[in-house]
Amino acid sequence: MSGRLPGDLERTPLPVVDEPVVQVAPTRPPLTSGEWVRRNLFSSGFNGVLTVASGALVLFFGFQLVRFVFVSADWSVFQANLRVYMVGRFPEDQLWRVWAVVFFLATLVGLSHGVLVPRHLTRRGLVLRAVLAVLTVGALVYLVRSPLVWLLMAVTVALFAVGVVAGRRLGRRLLRSLLVAWLLAFPVVVLLLSVGDVSADQWGGLMLNVIVAVAVIALSFPLGILLALGRRSSLPAVSWFCVGFIELIRGVPLLTLLIFGRFVLILLMPPGLTFAQLVRAIFMFTLFSSAYVAEIVRGGLQGVPEGQYEAAKALGLSTTRTMALVAMPQALRSTIPPMIGHFISVFKDTSLLAALSFSELLFTARRSSQAFEFVGHQAEALLPAAFLFWVIAFSMSRWSQRVEVRLGVGER
Amino acid sequence: MTTPAADETMDVPADGEAMIVAEDVEKWFGHFQALKGISTTVRRGEVVVIVGPSGSGKSTFIRTLNRLERHDRGRIVVDGIELIDDIKNIEQIRSEIGMVFQSFNLFPHLTVVDNITLAPRNARRWPKPKAEAKAAQLLERVGIPEQARKYPAQLSGGQQQRVAIARALAMEPKIMLFDEPTSALDPEMIKEVLDVMKELAGSGMTMVVITHEIGFANEVGDRVLFFDGGLLVEEAPPDVFFTEPTSERGKLFLSQIL
Amino acid sequence: MATDFTTARPPLWRNVRFLRILGQAVFVLLLAIVAREAFLNLEYGVREQNLDLSFDFLQQRAGFAIKEGIAYNPNESFYSAFRVGVVNTIRVALVGIVLATILGLVMGVARLSTNWLVRRIAQVYVEIVRNTPVLVQIIFWYVAVILALPVIGGALSLWSLVFVSNRGTAVAWFRLEDGAGAWGLFLLAALAAGALVLRWRTRVDERTGRPAPRVPWAVGAFLVVVAVGFWVSGTPVSADVPEVGRFGYEGGLQVSPEYTALLLGLVIYTGSFITEIVRGSIQAVPKGQKEAAEALGLSPRQQLRLVVLPQALRVAIPPLNSQYLNLLKNSSLALAIGYPEIVSVSNTIINQAARATQMLLLVMGTYLLMSLSISAVMNALNRAVTRKGQR
Repeated sequence: MSGRLPGDLERTPLPVVDEPVVQVAPTRPPLTSGEWVRRNLFSSGFNGVLTVASGALVLFFGFQLVRFVFVSADWSVFQANLRVYMVGRFPEDQLWRVWAVVFFLATLVGLSHGVLVPRHLTRRGLVLRAVLAVLTVGALVYLVRSPLVWLLMAVTVALFAVGVVAGRRLGRRLLRSLLVAWLLAFPVVVLLLSVGDVSADQWGGLMLNVIVAVAVIALSFPLGILLALGRRSSLPAVSWFCVGFIELIRGVPLLTLLIFGRFVLILLMPPGLTFAQLVRAIFMFTLFSSAYVAEIVRGGLQGVPEGQYEAAKALGLSTTRTMALVAMPQALRSTIPPMIGHFISVFKDTSLLAALSFSELLFTARRSSQAFEFVGHQAEALLPAAFLFWVIAFSMSRWSQRVEVRLGVGER
Repeated sequence: MTTPAADETMDVPADGEAMIVAEDVEKWFGHFQALKGISTTVRRGEVVVIVGPSGSGKSTFIRTLNRLERHDRGRIVVDGIELIDDIKNIEQIRSEIGMVFQSFNLFPHLTVVDNITLAPRNARRWPKPKAEAKAAQLLERVGIPEQARKYPAQLSGGQQQRVAIARALAMEPKIMLFDEPTSALDPEMIKEVLDVMKELAGSGMTMVVITHEIGFANEVGDRVLFFDGGLLVEEAPPDVFFTEPTSERGKLFLSQIL
Repeated sequence: MATDFTTARPPLWRNVRFLRILGQAVFVLLLAIVAREAFLNLEYGVREQNLDLSFDFLQQRAGFAIKEGIAYNPNESFYSAFRVGVVNTIRVALVGIVLATILGLVMGVARLSTNWLVRRIAQVYVEIVRNTPVLVQIIFWYVAVILALPVIGGALSLWSLVFVSNRGTAVAWFRLEDGAGAWGLFLLAALAAGALVLRWRTRVDERTGRPAPRVPWAVGAFLVVVAVGFWVSGTPVSADVPEVGRFGYEGGLQVSPEYTALLLGLVIYTGSFITEIVRGSIQAVPKGQKEAAEALGLSPRQQLRLVVLPQALRVAIPPLNSQYLNLLKNSSLALAIGYPEIVSVSNTIINQAARATQMLLLVMGTYLLMSLSISAVMNALNRAVTRKGQR
């Protein structure tokens, strides 16, 4: 085609094109900085005022913050307690176990990242990552004084990078083995950290938050699916029970459920039977989380058209098979974004264990500022903890957005 | 599209035994009575075409035949098995009836081949090679063997509906039900689906088809059932019904669609 | 040819309907067994502790003081103490909901601003606040900010109307004098007058087609009636401006540092989620709507008011309901900073009277009641906005 239309459309109709016509957007020369500033910041008088006012605010607070972080703050409370922040009262000579777990997870996460997340190097992404990397390295160099730890951290990063490269290279073939690895990861980690010269009582710090979060997520996922299916059941007794359970759990604060776990749960068990406080907390937390998972899955199942169920029924598939092979695969795909969002919330909510005096990250941070020599430095004690929570939650949320793209959520 | 192999043509016995018997079938949705006593018999190898205005109960009726809806009164007997609250009966009947829907209802997360082999492999426990061989054969029969590894979203409406027909045929049913199979298709794709259905009819399949395609009814239909307001108002061969319906309502309906 | 079929009754074990009933019966039976076992264990366990399962203990003398809230003294009953906790929860939840909504609205609009800087600031706010646990934020505000503020002598002030120090916050408020009742009636009349004027001007606008400013007129009518009432009732209200005394605030509306920190944490945290709801709901309105409105000749403000916002509102109400419930439930975290709301007070009661089971039932029941109330209001709102339309 020469790109021109035939002169007489009556005689020679346009040929039917099979491929979609590719539209190329008219290109514009990129805006110069001057134009960009004018368009985005000063497009009107009002906007100009806004820019100036908010710019001033940002500069003012930014300056205060920078001055605080680098000049007036005394970070010794964090430096001295770094180990406690990370692993609580875990015995020092057994830390190799923790590092083993870290290496294992770094490799696993790297592989998963390589397989699932598309390469997406924008200039802005690169800049952002470079800035974050510099900040992190700088902070670590300043805060951690032991060269051994630097080495171990470097190994961790290297393992992650290797994992990413390998994952990209091997691609989707790895998915099944990855799934198995992740499923096995949790019990393996728990075993490694509790068998031998250590016990679960000694878990603390950020490690405790992560372990609790993973346990709750792993346990509440199948339970939530069961609840969602039960809620949709055509048997009224089952569906009412599930609805009642879900609404009850969602109507009360997580903290009250945890307090219930601490004081009342044990009374409901046969006399003499007892569980560690941590197990009780994880149990109640799992019940809590499963109610929310159930609602997310229910939303996904509602999105599956009724016709799918009918076709499966007409073909002679049993209800269980229909659920497993037809409904759930479709439902789960659409539930991935809210599900990951919920998991991020679970991680954030592990901080509530602090209110029950479990020595996880927040509790540790708060307590370290109460030691005699660090009184008055509560901000320096809390900010690193806040930052650790934030970094993990933020990374998970960014990661989930990229995974969505790769899995084609919302496409089919 | 190929003609069926010899072994796929069913013998039509001279006396045409009854495949479906419906006696005074009634169905309510709450206070609304959708079926007010339908009685008819479909013989082996017959192609019965059901027509009628929307809301007349045609869809409800054929859905009661394979228990997608439960009839409240009356009797339904399929190939000698009565349709009652018995799991075994229901399962047996469902395995003898295949259904094709207006909105195709293909499984979007599975390829065409997986769509077709899902039920045989899981409900009939066929091994994978056997199921896939059958699928290949059926895709050949409906004329789209090259689409085997594609996903439904990548196919046109006409192709999707043909896959749906193949999927239903994979369970080797004795009866095929069609609920307005071409109503959701763009006009240029209706023919390819009707051609498959005509071939199916020619091979001796017992078919009950809800449709507005008069040409199809005239060509392969043995009988037309005219539904209106939950009742079977008129029953006649297609050439009779579409030219000289005897009932008033039949005349009214024809004047609206012609 | 009709074949003879006998309508046989399917054997029970294959009968679909029977099986459904049987399945449910088994399920209920299992539940009942588990429940009974649990209850018996509970009774046994409670007896071992020399306690009971009744709620009578609530009448006993509490014996502990509560830092803030409605009038209460330690000689009153546990039940009274609990009531103080409930009121404190409502105090922080209601104010929190209102303030968080306002913050969310402002920041949500900012997220959609044409001004790049404003957009980015709002985005940074959301990304930072959303991904930090709410308890961390509350403790941070309490420990690192409020308690670290200057003592009363050097309290920070905002135009001398709002004072903040480590003793809490004091806000200029109003004091009711004689005649306040009469003025209250005038306020109601003023509201009615404002509504009437609003409707009148709308009618004028529709009839004549000439733009008739409705809001300024309505507000003006409202203020006029208010002022008349003010004059007639003889200054029923006076300003109560707080002053910084030697040991604390004098006058004004005072709230504790715990309340301040809790409110700050809850409002800022929930505000970030409401920001995203506002942004999402406005973006959910199809672009074609705005374009159609523009093509019809409506001004940008009219487009927003008549076309975009009503549709956005419909989408926004269910998630807003969730966030309000979250704020209510997050108020329980006050336990960590000692603000005496329900959970905090109940924890003390459990420490004193040890009847954890009953207290927890009471606490959970109260939260359920409050959650239902909030949801009921939001559902009514939802019906009101969807009644006018479809969907």
